[in-house]
Amino acid sequence: MTKSSPFSVRGRHALMIMKDEREIPVLRRQLHRLGMTVTETDPERSIAPDVPVDVIILDADGIPIKSDTSPATSMTAPIIALIGTETPSRLKWLLDLKPASFLIKPLRSAGLYTALVMAFDCAQRRSEEAAYIEKLEDRVRARRVVFAAVLQLMRAHALSEEDTFTLIRQTAMRHRTTIEQLSAEIIATGGMPNRNSQTA
Amino acid sequence: MMGREMEKSALMAVDEVNQSDEFDFTLKSHLRDPGGIVPAYHNACDDLIRHDRVGHIVGCYTSASRKQVIPIVERTERLLWHPARYEGFESSDNVIYVGAAPNHTVVPLVRHMLEHIANDVFCVGSNYVWTWETNRVLREIVTTARGRILAERLLELGETAVDHIVNEIVERKPPAVFNTLVGESSYVFMRRLHEALAGAGLSIPVLSCSLCEPELKLIGPAASVGCITSSAYFESIEEKENRAFVARWRARHGTDSHVSVDSQSTYVCVMLLARAIRRAGSADVAAVRRAAADHRYDSPQGPIWVDPDNNHCFLTPRLARSAPGCQFKVFWQADAPERPDPYLSNFDPASVGAKPGKEDDVVMKRPNHLRVIK
Repeated sequence: MTKSSPFSVRGRHALMIMKDEREIPVLRRQLHRLGMTVTETDPERSIAPDVPVDVIILDADGIPIKSDTSPATSMTAPIIALIGTETPSRLKWLLDLKPASFLIKPLRSAGLYTALVMAFDCAQRRSEEAAYIEKLEDRVRARRVVFAAVLQLMRAHALSEEDTFTLIRQTAMRHRTTIEQLSAEIIATGGMPNRNSQTA
Repeated sequence: MMGREMEKSALMAVDEVNQSDEFDFTLKSHLRDPGGIVPAYHNACDDLIRHDRVGHIVGCYTSASRKQVIPIVERTERLLWHPARYEGFESSDNVIYVGAAPNHTVVPLVRHMLEHIANDVFCVGSNYVWTWETNRVLREIVTTARGRILAERLLELGETAVDHIVNEIVERKPPAVFNTLVGESSYVFMRRLHEALAGAGLSIPVLSCSLCEPELKLIGPAASVGCITSSAYFESIEEKENRAFVARWRARHGTDSHVSVDSQSTYVCVMLLARAIRRAGSADVAAVRRAAADHRYDSPQGPIWVDPDNNHCFLTPRLARSAPGCQFKVFWQADAPERPDPYLSNFDPASVGAKPGKEDDVVMKRPNHLRVIK
């Protein structure tokens, strides 16, 4: 998703997965007023639109709890749930879809814009958090490599662990690389790589 | 079937109010039949309110139909008098919930199962909100008591292909079957299960929170016997209000007809409404709602009154076993009407404990607040 403000909804595309004949026109009219484009589908047919979907608006009461295929789960767009029944069994089913926001039925003209802004903001935060977690996971995976590099230099130069790590960190900074990348090179070359570093 | 039974009851109650000296006003009924078509309930109520200027609406059997009506009664400040038991998790200022809340139905039934039948249970139900929510409550209580849900088999509404489930029950021999099927699915299931269990020489108790007398007739004489059922009303209740009510019902609708919990509850809706109008001195919605609160009515099902905290009713839970002749034999009822708890927020599943070695135990081990009646 492009990094646009969650407050700007014009031009975004909504997929409406709904059944209720009275709720559909209310929502369609309000989405058009906001300048959004819309694809409508029945929960049973579940047509995937050929344009990228920015938000899914899903009538939670329209789908049996035990159905095997839930149409929205395969898509990454944030979900706004439309809720009529507040029983825990229905809400548990809904939580598994990780809705980004919700609206209580019957729908009114008010509320949709807030739900959209929350959904777009939530989607952006989720994607940023996912990227951050991936970065952290890479670093966790590289810990073994860093540890091996520290051990190698400690043995080769009879340094303390603290001094060795400081040396690697400062060298990485000078080489404009990461500690993990430099550690991999240390292991590959059997010692501190001999670069022509441009020291300040 | 339920819609017609409820209509018969409502009209009977309206006639009784209009013929009674106790009421110095008459009720005028306006009928609409949305025929079970969910979106038609919205239109029917809209029409009643706009054209007939109706202030109070009695009806809706399913939750789907009630959800259609609530937005209109809330917008136009009318009152819906809802007779049917339902799964809870709702409380509108514009609905008087006269049917049982989940703490009146599923909770006493599961308590009985855990104390006298088994910890483990096989669930079969129709694939809709009543089953989902009833089974959720059941699961919560049973697993807290360290019991197991052995299976949860769901059929689409109206589906009558039940043999695969019946075969599974015969094969696995669960100690209890919890049935939340509705309509034809339930009738066919009860008949097939009865045949199969008899053929295999097995006896497995079946539990229900929705079976009623007219349904026993539809299931048939053999298969309808022995089902343990939870309800606020059975036709066989011995209190004098009920004996008189059943006699009036039969005089009006035929000696071979049966009163169901839902038709009795519809009658109670109209009576609660008429009594609240009399007390308020007006049919104004806000005045009627205030007058209905905490105003006790000795109804066929016993004392009943509206809890103004949540607009549901205090009523007496009962357990019964279906018997020959399309009747239920009540074997337990609460000492006094129980406060409605539509969100089960005052209910602790751990309070319904399992006790070891209960299988085939016929000795009643009731907590002190429960009373065994004949």
